[in-house]
Amino acid sequence: MTIETEYAIETQDLVKIYKTGKVQAVNGLNLRIKQGEIYALIGANGSGKTTSLNMISGALFPTSGSIKVLGYPIPAKRRLITNYIGLAPQEYSIYEDLTLEENVRFFSRIYGMNKSEFETKFTELLQILRLEEKRKTMVKNLSGGMKRRTSIACSLIHSPKIVFFDEATVGVDPVLRSFFWDYFRSLQDKGVTLVITSHVMDEAERADRIGLMRAGKLIAEGTPEELKKKHNAETVEEIFIKLSEGEVINEE
Amino acid sequence: MKNKKKSTEKEFQPKNLAFSMRRVMAIALRTINQFRRDRRTVALLSIVPIVIMLIFGLAFSGEVINLPVLIDNQDSGLGTLIVDNLVNDTRVTLTNGTYEDGISQVENGNYYAVILIPSNFTTSILEMLAGNLTSAQIFIYLDGTKPTIRASLLGALRDAMENAIGGNGVRVVQTLAFGGAEFSGLDTGIPAVIAFVLIFLLVIVGVITLIREKIQGTQDRLYSTPLRSSERLLGYVIGLLLIATIMIALVLIFGVFVFGAKVQGNVFLLIFAALLFGMAHVFLAVFLANFAQNELQAIQFAPLTAIPSMALGGLFVPTISLPAWLYPVSYVVPLTYGINLFEGIMLKGWGFKELWLDFTVVAVMCLIFFILAVITVRDRMRD
Repeated sequence: MTIETEYAIETQDLVKIYKTGKVQAVNGLNLRIKQGEIYALIGANGSGKTTSLNMISGALFPTSGSIKVLGYPIPAKRRLITNYIGLAPQEYSIYEDLTLEENVRFFSRIYGMNKSEFETKFTELLQILRLEEKRKTMVKNLSGGMKRRTSIACSLIHSPKIVFFDEATVGVDPVLRSFFWDYFRSLQDKGVTLVITSHVMDEAERADRIGLMRAGKLIAEGTPEELKKKHNAETVEEIFIKLSEGEVINEE
Repeated sequence: MKNKKKSTEKEFQPKNLAFSMRRVMAIALRTINQFRRDRRTVALLSIVPIVIMLIFGLAFSGEVINLPVLIDNQDSGLGTLIVDNLVNDTRVTLTNGTYEDGISQVENGNYYAVILIPSNFTTSILEMLAGNLTSAQIFIYLDGTKPTIRASLLGALRDAMENAIGGNGVRVVQTLAFGGAEFSGLDTGIPAVIAFVLIFLLVIVGVITLIREKIQGTQDRLYSTPLRSSERLLGYVIGLLLIATIMIALVLIFGVFVFGAKVQGNVFLLIFAALLFGMAHVFLAVFLANFAQNELQAIQFAPLTAIPSMALGGLFVPTISLPAWLYPVSYVVPLTYGINLFEGIMLKGWGFKELWLDFTVVAVMCLIFFILAVITVRDRMRD
């Protein structure tokens, strides 16, 4: 697949209204995420972050609006991009009754990887995620942070070009979180695009760009510095609180 | 320091540590509350006992009844009296025929028995009474593969003789069909166990496997991978059928080598039948999984599918013994055909020639469940 588009992800007027409950989860989302960027989508619980990721990854169909991932229209061409994206969902979403290795191996097979490709990449991931000793451990016996890392390993095993981490650093201790970010940077160096959602605002400060979501749409976007300057705030959290309280008029 | 300790002790007087009915009731009320929220469970638990009661009550209303039997009465005297009595017996449904034709009809499974009352029967009885003969004879050629059916057939015949002529001195000459196959409860139980394994294992375990994938979130995760829904469906089928094959093999090996059970027919045909029947149930499980949100609801498919089908599919009593209005239902219960196949092959030594119709029906059901599964198997998240 040749990729000739500047943007890894583009959405236009993206809307999602769930049939059950008639909740308007996403309400006119316009995102442009460049290739090789680390983009943090932040917002309170229920602001539409996860729904947006699910639509962008092709798992959930939008009600209206358009999505392009690596230049391909989604969901129409969603199968074409599946090998190039990796998604670590908010829940661990791994098999509790399999070992760590069996989980990752399963996903490697789903991605059509052969044994040696798996071994090489898996060894690398175990080292980075500090899971070497837990290779043969049943997932149900792992701690929350380790399950999180196992889930991340499952989403990275096939070396995707775009990675979605939905609340990836929840339950991860500060030391490890720092390692994570080092690893995120190293992925970025290889041209990987990372989209991270979080409701932890300081997390977002490490990203290249931030999108603040509220009620299913972006209410502010920019680099952490730009945003702080613009909103005359010390931290991203402060901006978020200001915007949420309506002190600053909605920019959209 | 000492003072401080003292004051702390005072502050933390142990309280509320005695056994508390309030706490007990908190647990009880919470349990009821959670249960109340799961409406489907509430509905099922109020309906299921009644349904099961009805089905079991109707399916097991006493003896095995309505067994089709051919009668070849060549005797115009006492023989007619016996036949009259048999006609009034609910255990059998009589049709006139010849003994020779009857034998092949029993072998084909159209009738459970053929009874021959020879032309010299009355004469023999009279001779017997005169002391010239020790006994008169009646011949019965019957299906002996199931002890309950055999007992009903012989019971009906004995009662008829008893009522007609007092029964003394009449010798019933039994010939068992299917190469003289006579089975104990254990032998006849094996086809039932196979059916049970396939239905319970594949439907219940199958549904739970799928539900778990839903609950764990792995199903949603797989939607953004290259996995196709057809690949997923086929994967489940192969995985679950492999497990089922191992279990059937275990049942057979254990039954044959440890308990000495007999398998009359071709073991490979039996395994083929089991796989076909099993495949239908895997597809059914995939379809049913759409209607359960959690494991509790999945388990409820057991009383809803497995138990009625066992009662109505001829596992405990032959379908012919069901009440007339319930009998047609047995035609749409997959297990009816499964039991025909498993019992036919194992107990009667039947092959494809005798069972082609049952194979066809199971294959058609497999196709129907496959279509239902394909239509409902998801390749993306619920809108």
